[in-house]
Amino acid sequence: MKDMTKTSAAAASAAKRQGASGDPLGPNSEIGRKLKQYYDDLVSEEVPDRFAQLLAQLEQASPAQKKD
Amino acid sequence: MAVSQEFKSDLLGSIPSLRAFAVSLTQNADKADDLVQETLVKAWDKHESFQPGTNLKAWLFTILRNEFYSQMRKRGREVQDSDGIMTAKLAVHPAQHGQLDLKDFRGALEQLPEDQREAIILIGASGFSYEEAAEICGCAVGTIKSRVSRARTKLQEILRLTSDGEYGPDAISAQVMGKPAA
Repeated sequence: MKDMTKTSAAAASAAKRQGASGDPLGPNSEIGRKLKQYYDDLVSEEVPDRFAQLLAQLEQASPAQKKD
Repeated sequence: MAVSQEFKSDLLGSIPSLRAFAVSLTQNADKADDLVQETLVKAWDKHESFQPGTNLKAWLFTILRNEFYSQMRKRGREVQDSDGIMTAKLAVHPAQHGQLDLKDFRGALEQLPEDQREAIILIGASGFSYEEAAEICGCAVGTIKSRVSRARTKLQEILRLTSDGEYGPDAISAQVMGKPAA
């Protein structure tokens, strides 16, 4: 998949920062850890159907281009 | 030009991150989802201005953030209380044995001014670099750095972490809890 490159680039930049020693928000920091826990909880929440429906509606209004 | 399938599926894939960022900004789940909806509509409308191969997440976060601040301006800034009222309301008890409660943390995060909260979220949680965060917020890298630093200091104050990483009960409560004071 094409979009994998973007995702892994973001992950790499996150990993790079986490790995940096002396990072005030890194894994050795209580605030850094809580911040990630807080955010990861939010990211892993189930996405309501309304968003997939919204994109479907938008697509109907301006049909997506078929690539193949 | 029609919207590509790839763009659409990338949009779908970005929704969890967008929602997390929106909740971080609004501190309200309903407002956050409305904000994400607006963001998706805007992103769809102006998909041609997105350059394939560049960071879609950063592009979407920028749209979401602009939408958030423009809504706030329209509502005449009902939202923020940077110092004072909420700080007084919320007294956080010292964390037990370094286990900072997530609920307390959330409460502390709420007390930060938006500019500091978004900075520390972008850098400390969303995985953006300082440069990317500066671009998203439309400000200088140094500004992001100082906001992150102030946010961190403020969180430490609110949570009464004497210094980050060196937390835990003070000598007296340690004795009460039957742990030898260090």
